[in-house]
Amino acid sequence: MHENFNKYLRDNWGMTDVQVAQLTPFIKSKQVYKGDFLLREGEVSTLTFFVEKGLLRLYGLNEDGKENILQFASENGLVSDRGSVYFNEPSHYCIDAIEESTVISIDNAFIDTVSGLSPDFRKKNDRLLHNHVRHLNRRIALLLGATAERRYLEFIKLYPDVMLRVPQWMVASYLGITPESLSRVRRELAQKNFKP
Amino acid sequence: MKTKTVELVASPRAPHFVGDGFRVHNFIPSGFRLDMQRMSPFILLDYNSTYTFPPSDTPKGVGVHPHKGFETVTIAYKGKVAHHDSSGGGGVISEGDVQWMTAAKGVLHKEYHEAEWSKKGGEFQMVQLWVNLPAKDKQSNPKYQAIKYADVNRYELQNGAGNIEVIAGEYKGTNGSASTFTPLHMFNAKLNKGGKADFRFPANYNTALLVLEGHIWVNGKEEVPTDHLALMANDGESFEVEATDNAVVLVLSGEPIDEPIAAQGPFVMNTREELAEAFNEFNTGKFGYLED
Repeated sequence: MHENFNKYLRDNWGMTDVQVAQLTPFIKSKQVYKGDFLLREGEVSTLTFFVEKGLLRLYGLNEDGKENILQFASENGLVSDRGSVYFNEPSHYCIDAIEESTVISIDNAFIDTVSGLSPDFRKKNDRLLHNHVRHLNRRIALLLGATAERRYLEFIKLYPDVMLRVPQWMVASYLGITPESLSRVRRELAQKNFKP
Repeated sequence: MKTKTVELVASPRAPHFVGDGFRVHNFIPSGFRLDMQRMSPFILLDYNSTYTFPPSDTPKGVGVHPHKGFETVTIAYKGKVAHHDSSGGGGVISEGDVQWMTAAKGVLHKEYHEAEWSKKGGEFQMVQLWVNLPAKDKQSNPKYQAIKYADVNRYELQNGAGNIEVIAGEYKGTNGSASTFTPLHMFNAKLNKGGKADFRFPANYNTALLVLEGHIWVNGKEEVPTDHLALMANDGESFEVEATDNAVVLVLSGEPIDEPIAAQGPFVMNTREELAEAFNEFNTGKFGYLED
């Protein structure tokens, strides 16, 4: 049960095996099917989702209904709309399942329980938050100034298996390029690297 | 010589679609006691039991995807599949044909119902197997062995019992035309009602029988109905199959590859590091490029 989440609690939130066992009754896991929503635009959500198994995405819709993917979350990833969770705002985004997934829902009460059990938690979580902000800055810089190829090469470092799990247009949407540009980048890489 | 007994008879699991063109029951690796190690070197068996596809102007199938570290064997029983790959290869697998594709160091390919067949639709029945490669051969060059039905070698059983089509390995002096990297046997046993055939494989060879048509008894004791798979125990060498009505049975037997398996998606390697490298090779175009 929740092998990945238990490992995450130990490795990233500094919990001991005993503390993980104490937390087990408070872990809320659920199964979602491909296409199921965990958050819809306009809803206020108090939950952060940990992906035990499967693949989720966080995305916004622009005025003509086009989806802009902000984040993928596969195994061991966390995803939420922080505006909603921490500022009580109606969400600007949606979260849905790209694959059948097992997700753990984390609410404030759970976070309070964790921080009560582990004195290290707040410090560790701060570091994770700073890392997330660092990543977001990097992403903004890539979106503002990098070539399509550079964006793609960074993407496959971050998400090595996502190209094989989602349609190409979703990757293009995440990268802020057209599907045609993504095809071109991949074709050019193959021309360079394919040695039959 | 000891009798090889039936370890279990597996019912077909609920079918799922691979792409939109293959409606398959997975027996290996998700079947009970049928994981990749148990049936090594046969690490995947997807069985598209007879299913009628309606006519479609757009051929159904599976879009571009990679494979690395093993071989895929596609056996067409009903229907036709067209395939293309990133080195410019391609072809059509028609009824009775076998396509043995060595993905080895990596290929990109796609497989669809053949365009003319798709327009008419009809009954479709197919098996796809993944045959693992030993570590020393995982980086070898990709290749195809296209075996046309007319070229499959046959052994005629006595008394009109039927015949054994030998795809790979050997049955009573008749050799299959497919070459393999490790010792294995792959036959289609086509038995007439009441027909019997006996088989002999080393006890340690992992062995299974998939019943595609008809109904069989194994060693006169275990009944295996249509669309079921009999996993044979590693307790002996020889066994007998008797058909209670006209039957088609895919017989698989192979020497296990005694190496660790690290598998994710379409890659089967020996270590997690090699798997990560396989994803990187796919992402950076090292398997080539193919338009969807």
